[in-house]
Amino acid sequence: MLLEVLLALVLGAVVLLVLRRSKAAVLKTEDGWWGAGSPPAGAEDESIRPFRVETSREEIEDLQRRIDQTRPVPSLEDSQFNYGFNSTYLQKVAAYWRNEFNWSKQVDKLNQYPHFKTKIEGIDVHYVHVKPKNLPEGRTAVPLIMVHGWPGSFYEFYGILPLLTEPANADDVAFEVICPSIPGYGFSEAPRKKGAWTRLGVPQARAAGVAIANMRLCSGRPGFNSVCAARVFLKLMRRLGFGRFYAQGGDWGWQITTNMAQLDPTAVKGLHINFAPVENVGPLVILSILLGRRFPGLFGFTELDVKRLYPRVEKMLVEPLKETGYFHIQATKPDTAGRGLNDSPVGLAAYILEKFSTWTDHEFRNLEDGGLERKFSLEDLLTNVMIYWTTGSITSSMRFYKENFAKGFYPPHARIPVTVPTGVAAFPNELMHTPKLWAKQKNHKLKTYTTMARGGHFAAMEEPGLMAQDIQKFIKVVEGKK
Amino acid sequence: DAFSENLPTKALQELDRPKLQLLALSSVGIGLTYFLVWRRKAKKSIPLGDGWWGHGQQTLRDDNKIYPFKVETSEDEINDLHRRIDQMRYTEPLEDCGFQYGFNSNYLQKVVSYWRNQFDWKKQVAKLNEYPHFKTNIEGLDVHFVHVRAPHRPGQKVLPLMLVHGWPGSFFEFYKILPLLTDTKDDLAFEVICPSIPGYGFSEAPHKQGFCSLDAARIFLKLMERLGFNKFYLQGGDWGSLITTNMAQMKPQCVSGLHLNMLAVTKGGVGMLLSLIIGPYLPFLVGFTREDVRRLFPYFEKNVYDLLMESGYMHIQGTKPDTAGCGLNDSPVGLAAYILEKFSTWTDRKNRDLEDGDLEKKYSLDDLLTNVMIYWTTRSIIPSMRFYKENFKTNPQNRVDARTGIFVPMGHAAFPNELMHCPLPWARWRFKDIRSYSYMPRGGHFAAFEEPRLLAEDFVKFVRKVEGKKR
Repeated sequence: MLLEVLLALVLGAVVLLVLRRSKAAVLKTEDGWWGAGSPPAGAEDESIRPFRVETSREEIEDLQRRIDQTRPVPSLEDSQFNYGFNSTYLQKVAAYWRNEFNWSKQVDKLNQYPHFKTKIEGIDVHYVHVKPKNLPEGRTAVPLIMVHGWPGSFYEFYGILPLLTEPANADDVAFEVICPSIPGYGFSEAPRKKGAWTRLGVPQARAAGVAIANMRLCSGRPGFNSVCAARVFLKLMRRLGFGRFYAQGGDWGWQITTNMAQLDPTAVKGLHINFAPVENVGPLVILSILLGRRFPGLFGFTELDVKRLYPRVEKMLVEPLKETGYFHIQATKPDTAGRGLNDSPVGLAAYILEKFSTWTDHEFRNLEDGGLERKFSLEDLLTNVMIYWTTGSITSSMRFYKENFAKGFYPPHARIPVTVPTGVAAFPNELMHTPKLWAKQKNHKLKTYTTMARGGHFAAMEEPGLMAQDIQKFIKVVEGKK
Repeated sequence: DAFSENLPTKALQELDRPKLQLLALSSVGIGLTYFLVWRRKAKKSIPLGDGWWGHGQQTLRDDNKIYPFKVETSEDEINDLHRRIDQMRYTEPLEDCGFQYGFNSNYLQKVVSYWRNQFDWKKQVAKLNEYPHFKTNIEGLDVHFVHVRAPHRPGQKVLPLMLVHGWPGSFFEFYKILPLLTDTKDDLAFEVICPSIPGYGFSEAPHKQGFCSLDAARIFLKLMERLGFNKFYLQGGDWGSLITTNMAQMKPQCVSGLHLNMLAVTKGGVGMLLSLIIGPYLPFLVGFTREDVRRLFPYFEKNVYDLLMESGYMHIQGTKPDTAGCGLNDSPVGLAAYILEKFSTWTDRKNRDLEDGDLEKKYSLDDLLTNVMIYWTTRSIIPSMRFYKENFKTNPQNRVDARTGIFVPMGHAAFPNELMHCPLPWARWRFKDIRSYSYMPRGGHFAAFEEPRLLAEDFVKFVRKVEGKKR
């Protein structure tokens, strides 16, 4: 009798598991048009045009004039970076920017790699295309797309590009890298269309099959969100002649490359991510949160996992609340939030660089200078800021948050797993820590999971060597298996 | 029957003299104890505390003098503003987005053009100076206030009143209601004090961390004391509502009455949950009126979803005020967009769907921009934002004032488009002596600015009720 019951239970569990797996649908999407007005009749211009970053004396003088016009407000005594960017240190950064930073020189640095633009779905998409210079006979470069996040840019990858395209080690893979700019960021044109949502009452929502669990009961066409960006980047890779390629990303880059793998699993050979927040909190994750401290071995929790996740309330509620104010205002009122930052370069720098401080290490909040120059040079940091400043793209970059959270925190792609080989590089100071068990819930083909020695959110910029090493490790596992 | 009727008398008759005395004494004793305990419980207040917010260490004693103050401007100030407005770098809005993504860039250009070419700051400064301004140093900070006396009319009773503003408002919000309260023709008038919260406008900003509503309340109590007022009325909305409530909790004996146009529900608990579940179906069972139901439900959409949509500013100001305000202090256009977005959306949430946010329906651009100029010319946007962080540092639900009731006479004017609605049964959890609760016919968050007459009428109605009961 007992044996039969046990057998039935096991069978039931297997059936459930199989059913769950088979529900793993492919992410669907529709085409879009993001240019001004209506799409023109006829085929889209698919030409690829070379692009050079340029500047002018007017641009630099205007910047310097605005920096001179800054009206600083002293920070509270002994507040360091706890109230945001410290005023005293900000004056130092502004002085450097005004007197020593050489934008012309940085523009030359940006142009050391070839840039291009091409029109996709009505908007100009910018990207950098880097091919290895010295490829040995008979070897082909492996195509790789690397996607940035907010408040970063393609420039974050300039440190790691040489390590990937000209690896020192003979048996390392040499990559051909595409670094696009997300539409609305930097040199990529911003989408002109918003999401068209109609609000539904509960009975209408039920009839339309919209999940009530979604915070916003609505139906309609989404605005330019990560799935749209993924679709655009898939088109880009196809246009460039890459049938199969690898993808790498952190922050929004993680979301977009994940969506690419969900939209077209055959095109994405492998997915390497350095950011992997849990979107779909299932029973296993909840169980591990409840019991993980007492029984870490049961869930495969390492020492780092326990340190980063507990005490629960502080690490999973209070800390995120302290750091997500920008997220909240950008996801609701991006045009208001970005308005002042587009006129005040110092305000823009404070807003962006605060993240480069706090997201590299939370402890930096207690330092007078936010520890900013410990891991980055002011030159590199301000070059990234200049990309937002000279293109006036801060507001459109913020709109991306609103478009992605229009349907609440539980959009369709959050429920669909990733079925391409995935590698996770877990940096110890990343904003949200994801233990291996949690990463496996979403990424069903997790090939590598590495606890990195050091580094925070802007991993590619902060620790390019470590990141390149892990990408090589991941590629070898995926290619080796073939 | 005869037996029960005579029991007490029979019992008393059986007691001898000493026992009778003991009974009488103990009855009086119990009665007295009960009375004293009840009285002490009723007069519960929160501790006053103390503070010092100036630079460095406190060295000198407070200078208690009150100095007259005039708002001033200069050609340099106006030229600098114009130069910065001209330097605005326009960002195209998404097509057809109204105010859903924040302040619409197209409409902003119209506002900015008016500001640049027609707005007359010198004239507005003269308007500000129509009432006498003063400054006095309290706890190391120069506190600014407007002091409006009622013209002497025979047979008129003049009561002192303090009006406290909120964010992103200022003392200027009260300029339309001031004449309605001070210059009345009937038997009741008010002598009004409109201070600026330290860190806002012409009040000096605290230099030390930790300045929260309790500190502002204590400073305003000291101000009233310094001005010679022993008993006064209080009125406030937004932060003003919390500060005046704290004042009534600190020194209830000084507060004749407390009138609020915004009530935040703090301690909900089981009672609130029950009333939310039962309320839409059997409102009378939980003390809701039909109007309550209309304003509260659908609860999730109006109070959770809508609040999430509208509280981004609160979240960033409550965590990173120095970052949030930095750009706004260099870009007047950015500052105007940030502040005026609230004057649009918090007046009526439906304004989010309109291209111009219907901003000029209830307000004139002159008035709106004068309020913005107060933040601009005093560079107080960052300190004004810090107030949010200081108040949210400790869990607001656990702070001493959230756990203490309010026992002074209270009146509430519930405006239909206020950010959140608080029905009378909920208000009763904390306010133990509610004398007036009115459903206002129209108006939103900036009640004194938008509907001064309605607010004044309700306030006077409340005062009459309180004064009437006194006699």
